[in-house]
Amino acid sequence: MKRTPPARTAFTEVRFSGLLERPLILHGELEYDGPGKLSRTVTAPYRERMKIEGGEASVQRGDRPSRTFSLSQAPELEGFLRGFAALLGGDAEALQRDFDLAARGSMSAWHLKLTPRDARLARRVTALEVDGAGTSARCFHTREADGDVNVLLVESLADAKLPTRPTPPMIDALCRGIDAR
Amino acid sequence: MRAAPRRWLLVLVWLLALAALGIVAIRTLRISTDLRSFMPPPETPDQKLLMDQIGEGPGSRLLLLAIEGAPPERLAALSRGLADALRGDAHFEQVVNGAFDPAALDPAWLPYRYLLSPTLDHDAFDAAFLSDQLQQRIEDLASPAATLLKPLLPRDPTLETLALAERWSPPKPPAMRDGVWFSSRGAALLLAETRGAGFDPAAQGEAIDALQGAFDRLPDRGNARLTISGPGYFSVLISARTRGEADRIGAVSTVGFILLLLFAYRSPALLLLAALPIASGALAGVAVLAWIFGAAHGITLAFGFTLLGVAQEYPIRLLSHRRAGEDALASVRALWPLLATAIASAAIAYLAFFASGVEGLKQLAVFTITGLLVAGFSTRYLLPRVLPARFQDAAGTRGIATALAFVERVPRPAWLPWVLTAGALIVLWRAPGPMWENDLAALTPVPEDLLLRDAKLRGELGAPDVRYLLVLQAPDAEQLLAFSESIEPRLAALIDQGALDAFELPSRYLPSIATQRARQARLPDRATLEQALAEASRDLPFRGDLFTPFLDDVETAKTLKPLSPEEFSRSPLGARLASMLVRRDDGWLALATLSGVHDAGALAAFAASTHGQARVLDLKAASESLVVAYRERILRALGIALALLALTVVVALRSVRRAWHVIAPMSLATLLVLVVERAFGLSLSLFHLVALTLAAGLGLHYALFFERPVADVAEARRTLHATLVCIASALLVFGMQAWSSLPVLRAIGLTVALGVGFHFCLSILMARGRNAAEDRS
Repeated sequence: MKRTPPARTAFTEVRFSGLLERPLILHGELEYDGPGKLSRTVTAPYRERMKIEGGEASVQRGDRPSRTFSLSQAPELEGFLRGFAALLGGDAEALQRDFDLAARGSMSAWHLKLTPRDARLARRVTALEVDGAGTSARCFHTREADGDVNVLLVESLADAKLPTRPTPPMIDALCRGIDAR
Repeated sequence: MRAAPRRWLLVLVWLLALAALGIVAIRTLRISTDLRSFMPPPETPDQKLLMDQIGEGPGSRLLLLAIEGAPPERLAALSRGLADALRGDAHFEQVVNGAFDPAALDPAWLPYRYLLSPTLDHDAFDAAFLSDQLQQRIEDLASPAATLLKPLLPRDPTLETLALAERWSPPKPPAMRDGVWFSSRGAALLLAETRGAGFDPAAQGEAIDALQGAFDRLPDRGNARLTISGPGYFSVLISARTRGEADRIGAVSTVGFILLLLFAYRSPALLLLAALPIASGALAGVAVLAWIFGAAHGITLAFGFTLLGVAQEYPIRLLSHRRAGEDALASVRALWPLLATAIASAAIAYLAFFASGVEGLKQLAVFTITGLLVAGFSTRYLLPRVLPARFQDAAGTRGIATALAFVERVPRPAWLPWVLTAGALIVLWRAPGPMWENDLAALTPVPEDLLLRDAKLRGELGAPDVRYLLVLQAPDAEQLLAFSESIEPRLAALIDQGALDAFELPSRYLPSIATQRARQARLPDRATLEQALAEASRDLPFRGDLFTPFLDDVETAKTLKPLSPEEFSRSPLGARLASMLVRRDDGWLALATLSGVHDAGALAAFAASTHGQARVLDLKAASESLVVAYRERILRALGIALALLALTVVVALRSVRRAWHVIAPMSLATLLVLVVERAFGLSLSLFHLVALTLAAGLGLHYALFFERPVADVAEARRTLHATLVCIASALLVFGMQAWSSLPVLRAIGLTVALGVGFHFCLSILMARGRNAAEDRS
């Protein structure tokens, strides 16, 4: 599933959080510009543009001035980015250095589980899970230590129709390629 | 003739007594290194502040740290590791590296955020404000900052904690990478505030050792290295370098001195015995210091040992003046009137230092007077009893007759001194450069490249200037904080004008109680807030009871007793404020730091408009005025010393005319030293004055002995021999120092070496002349 940068895809993000009574659903576009460079544009339900470059993320919302923070303050993002970059860059070595890997499924519906090796990252993120078919990934799960789960649906699933209150099993089924609707 | 065994017994007893004295002295004497005890009592308010500032000021206790030489993520981990290690270290008040962890805050302090944060000054916790805030929190939850914010959210949906953290970070924080401060050149940056005073090299040395030790114990350091900068580091560096160089020079000149005495007296035993009086004097001086003061300043001891150099002349005089076949006791009796005059006049002159009112100078006077008296009396009563009976008469030394003949033939025109004096005064009048060195720093210069590095680090860290401070004054803490709040916008305006880069006022950390009360009054009660919150989150997916901790905190905050500076200082973040506030008998002072002062004039104009409530303190100007005040005291002491000395000489010689022959060459030689140094553009410091005093003490000996009427040519030869040995040894010791790279040692070395030369020549010209002529007639 190696991609040559720049690679872009629309996405739908579903966030399940203990702080929220229903999941948060975002739509937008992702752009991967090579190792360490990622930008995410949210178009709905609000507008936000985030750019990651050189270990820093800058976030701009609406007309407010952009805010910059260091990636290490958001280790789950850093871990996600590293896993993401290694996957897209086809860098199996980097992937194995940062994560314990476990794969199952078939070429038409595979599932890859990445468990972070770095203790600092592991305190926040328990696992990254990728679902895909053939050479393309369609789901990125970020499982956070406090039980919150963030799911990024891309490429073939980017425009999947979702109910207003999707449940985690519903999303998991979608990722595994089983049409649960 | 004395039996040899008895002689050696006496030497043994003497040595044992010295050893006992030394042990007692070392056990009881504490050496202080705090420069403040060697400074004059401050008189103006600025000087008083400077003295506080030198030790306690926030600027002088800051160490600037940089870690470099490894990949950024490694450096960031080292920065975090070092900060964690130092937070548990008693040498440090606080360590900051930019990392902020809200979880580190004590929950008991959290409700105070509503009194400390300025949010409520311009917003109210109503439905409209909360709705906007909660919408932003939804966006935060879906953003990369989510993990950082999630733990805070239920308690603090308006993120006051972060607002405060931002307000309390340094005025111009450095760039952040991997969660810690980084310089533009890729080094991790930290600030460490020591507990010890900034200009106390011993305390700073301990702190720096602890710092380096903590860094060395960090795991996975690789090639990473730690760079330290700041006033405390410099004072440690300078005192180590000074000691190192003084030790090296001391070792070389000691060897030279020993060789010289061996050459002059051809006896190793004599050499050891001749060292006893001065060793006795030094140890007795230290013991008396320990007895009277309990502690002595390092500088007192260094100056004291220098001034005690005069005492080395006493045994040399005895050795050189001993006549062939004469008992040592008989020859010391013949010498004693003159030696006693020299000792008494020097001791009386040093009394003037005792009257100076400066602690360090008092110690210096006690040490030197004790040392001179003990060295003198042991030369008179002990040394002759231990000297071997066999010795060589110095009058028979090869070459001394030729030398004396040459000295006798030197023309001595009577007009010469007057012409020299007139010429000297003209040169002194026209000499380039300022007469006095007022800059304390010029004496202990920090190498240029280190200063540059310091300035660069300071700029990157946004650390305050060490030169300017804004001093706020008010009758009590509340009025002080209220005043600090009131000038905040005016200083912000000065930043906009480009007069300065940043400032740090105490109200940035703690608002006045009145302001805290006003904010408290604007907090809604629980029912109102609950309703506003329900309205604000109606369309948002937050869990229904999520914000109960927020409601609890606001309710608590509404009934909190506003924080006073004392209470705030006990908080984990209180150290910073505590170091800015000074409680005085007549009220409260705040030391607000300024960074990047570009227009001191605009700042002064601002301060003038506050009617004395705010003053700009220029630490450099204050320290210079302190040096000037100090020098005036020393000069006055020296003037009185000179008068006392002249009086003693007149009384001892019982003749104004003879006293004139002793004092005139001594005074003119001192003037000539000044002239030569000034002609080369040197500015004179305190160290030059101390060195001039020593040289004058030596000059007094030369003049006294040359002026003395002598019975025969042999005695004249012995006088010349003694004087030549004295001069050669002084030139050797101080000439070495004159080549030092350190200005302090160079000032002393050059002045004494020049002085010895001038005193010798002028003594021959002016003191010796008349008597030699009278003897022959």
